[in-house]
Amino acid sequence: MIGKFLPLLFVLLLIAAFLRGDFALTLIYLVIGALAAGLWWSRRALAQVETKRQFSQHAFLGETVKIDLHVQNKGWLPLPWLELRETLPVALVGPNNFQSVIHLGPRADARFEYSVEARKRGYYPIGPLSISTGDILGLSDSLLVQSQPEPLVVYPRIIPFSSLEIPSQSPQGTLRHTLPLFEDPTRIFGKRGYTSGDSLRRIDWKASASTGRLQVKVFEPSIALETFIVLNLNAEDYYYRSRVDSTELAIVIAASISNWIVGKKQMVGLMVNGRDPLTVDGKPQSIPPHKGKPHLMRLLETLARADIAENSALVPLIQAQRYQLAWGTTLIMITGNADDELLDELYQARRWGQNAVLILAGREASDDMIRRRAKTFGIAVFSIATESDLKIWMQESKRV
Amino acid sequence: MKSIGNVKAFRSISYAFVFLMMICAAMTIGILIQNAWLGWHSGVIASVMLLIVIDRFYTYQQLKSLTPLSSEWAIAYGTQWIVIVLFIRFLLSYANGLAAFLADLSLFARGYLANFFTGELVITLLLAVLAWVLTAQFLGLLDEIGLDPQLALREDPGRLQADVVPAHQRLLNLIFSLGIALVILTALTRINTRAIFSSPDGIPNIEVSRFSGGEAGALLYFIFGLALLSLSRLMSLQTHWNSLRIPVSSDNLVRQWGVYSLFFLLILAVIVSLLPAGDSLGFFPLVGTFLGFVIGVLFFILQFFILFLTFLISLPFRLFGQATPMFGGTPPSLLPNFPRVPASPMNISAIWELIRSVFLWGALAVIIVYSLIRFVRQHDRILAALRKSRITNWLILAWQWLYRNADKTRASLSTAIAEGWQSFIARLEGKRTLSPPGWMSLRSLDPRRKIYFFYLAMVRRGAEQGVTRNPSQTPSEYAVTLENALPSAAEDIDSITEAFVEARYSRQEVDSSKAESVKAIWGRIRNALQSKSKGGKSTNK
Repeated sequence: MIGKFLPLLFVLLLIAAFLRGDFALTLIYLVIGALAAGLWWSRRALAQVETKRQFSQHAFLGETVKIDLHVQNKGWLPLPWLELRETLPVALVGPNNFQSVIHLGPRADARFEYSVEARKRGYYPIGPLSISTGDILGLSDSLLVQSQPEPLVVYPRIIPFSSLEIPSQSPQGTLRHTLPLFEDPTRIFGKRGYTSGDSLRRIDWKASASTGRLQVKVFEPSIALETFIVLNLNAEDYYYRSRVDSTELAIVIAASISNWIVGKKQMVGLMVNGRDPLTVDGKPQSIPPHKGKPHLMRLLETLARADIAENSALVPLIQAQRYQLAWGTTLIMITGNADDELLDELYQARRWGQNAVLILAGREASDDMIRRRAKTFGIAVFSIATESDLKIWMQESKRV
Repeated sequence: MKSIGNVKAFRSISYAFVFLMMICAAMTIGILIQNAWLGWHSGVIASVMLLIVIDRFYTYQQLKSLTPLSSEWAIAYGTQWIVIVLFIRFLLSYANGLAAFLADLSLFARGYLANFFTGELVITLLLAVLAWVLTAQFLGLLDEIGLDPQLALREDPGRLQADVVPAHQRLLNLIFSLGIALVILTALTRINTRAIFSSPDGIPNIEVSRFSGGEAGALLYFIFGLALLSLSRLMSLQTHWNSLRIPVSSDNLVRQWGVYSLFFLLILAVIVSLLPAGDSLGFFPLVGTFLGFVIGVLFFILQFFILFLTFLISLPFRLFGQATPMFGGTPPSLLPNFPRVPASPMNISAIWELIRSVFLWGALAVIIVYSLIRFVRQHDRILAALRKSRITNWLILAWQWLYRNADKTRASLSTAIAEGWQSFIARLEGKRTLSPPGWMSLRSLDPRRKIYFFYLAMVRRGAEQGVTRNPSQTPSEYAVTLENALPSAAEDIDSITEAFVEARYSRQEVDSSKAESVKAIWGRIRNALQSKSKGGKSTNK
């Protein structure tokens, strides 16, 4: 832009030098002054602009997130015009981003409120906010600065389960179980007459005294359902035509199961082999089993950020993880496809004392074949083609 | 849209700025003509240019809808220009007086067209065409910037190309190009053209006057140009925001823009008027010159129209051979005079003159260097060729040599400064550091340093006798070595070594008696060394 002034300045200087035209010097002052003062003004004023966004950085699907944008001029130089253009994810707002033009006087501020719809699970950047201004004469190019984007996490859909009977071999828990093998001495279910072979420890002496016959306590069987969910997001393991829908379904299944288990005050862990934008290597970290709502939120955040990955083999990850899990842990494998290698690994987990469950998410032509193979290995298999299947399956899950 | 609502106001203000700029241009051209051609009606010519500008403002909107080179277009433009030519001709005649005007009218009525076209008329017509074209260019660009919303917001695929220069930039180029031309013309108005060719010895003599009056036009042209640019910037931004459907949240943006522009230009004008610029006109004389010219021109035009009306009214009277009641043949009033002398020339001090000169030549040098760098960067081949050429290589080597030497000099200089500073600090703190080797006065040393001196003298003399001190040796180890070579002075060597160690490594005060005793010890050791040396030489003999 400065190049445009060169011919004029050159002529002015020549005239000032050779024809003693001192008016040319005044013109030089005027032109250089207009350019320099305009540049200085716009740069200085823009440096004093501060922006701040305020919004809830976590949202559940379907929620509306209100964003408060505060633009403040901290300096004494006014800004004749300030163009604000917010970059928002298309998945949340559609094509119409927030944009506005304002004038900011000295030490003035402006507030804007706009909202985004949490329409789709994911980890979204809100911003960057592009702020542009320029000199009042248009002698120099407009200046542009961008503020840092801030993240918004949209949790995956959670389908509330009324009951989910996942087999477990971990005794002394808080969940009722049908097998007397897992009787809990703290949960007295009833009393019955003594039979030969009953342990003396189980005799209820007070009841025996009152009835005049030996009575033994009957304990309610219970299990501790420590669960570890393995979510496969390797692109090759999903049918290419329904890859996006199937992986989303797999994430919904993982989130719903996690929610149900935490609701039952049980421990749940998670491992995903997809991509995570927040980690250094791009892969999500394995989350060991824990209880509680904060832990559930951590799991949901990981599931919200997870994305499909290419060439991310699952079996080596399971092998590494399996040895860190306690005996009796239920290993829920959610995947689009299961080859012999994976089934073998689940079988090894079963032999190790862990309870393996395979959930096939999405439509896969070879479902029946996988079922047969899994049955051979003694692994429970569930097929979920759509979210509606998931709901129906949850109602009928008692027959597992 | 709000911007469309502002279009009328924008149109009025921007047209006013264009008109003011054209007044400035006409004023400068008028002064140049006044200087160059005596007898020509420079004021009339300037007035004609302004009338053309006003006419263009009025007819531009109507004529721009016509298809170029169509019959309608040819008729409209042809008619208008015939009227303009006649008008200019009669105006020039009227400037010579009423009698001349009537005579020309009569000649024209009789068909004497040869007398019709004079040099003055041709030049005036050329300037009228120039005013016509320039005004049209300004108005066209302003329409494109935002005065014509349909044109400004038109989504023309050709206009989306990156290489298309935005209309605001083109307006900037036009203002600056015309400004350059005006500056050159203003410079020419300072040259006495008549004196160039009237030199008695035949050599052209260039006389440069200090002030011509055209400076006011050039300066005000740029000020009005900047004001127009400010308005154009606002219009172009509003067009940009409308095209992208960006809402303007501030209601007072336009008003504030005007206020800021006004303040910006005022502050700029004040600063510029304060800077040293030789025979500056001064702000108020500048405005006074400009207003005087404008009022003069307007009065002249008004007078001409009144005269023309009275002439029309008097025609029926003339038809019946009666005297006209109002048209009494009064000569036209004087044309507007252009200023020749500055109102208040400033006295320039020598310092201001020097600052001005330094700034002037410095700026010229910076512009030339900057232009060269830009040119070379834009032409990669030149840069590559320069890198390959021997001269460049030699220059680079010379530069590297200079740089290295400068680096060395800088290093020595910084060392010297650091040492000087250390010495200065030591003196302030009452300490004395070891001075660098050189001639010194023993009397000037304190007792501690005297002991250092005698011990070092012993080491030096010992080395001369072949008992060199190894750098890794402690004073005690060296004492043993020297004692082996000089057994007769063993006790003295021990004493001087102990005294040195005490002086060097302890914080105890060293009194002058101790230094004197060490001096005596050193004397004995020196004698022993000398006798050893003599003994050695005699043995050799």
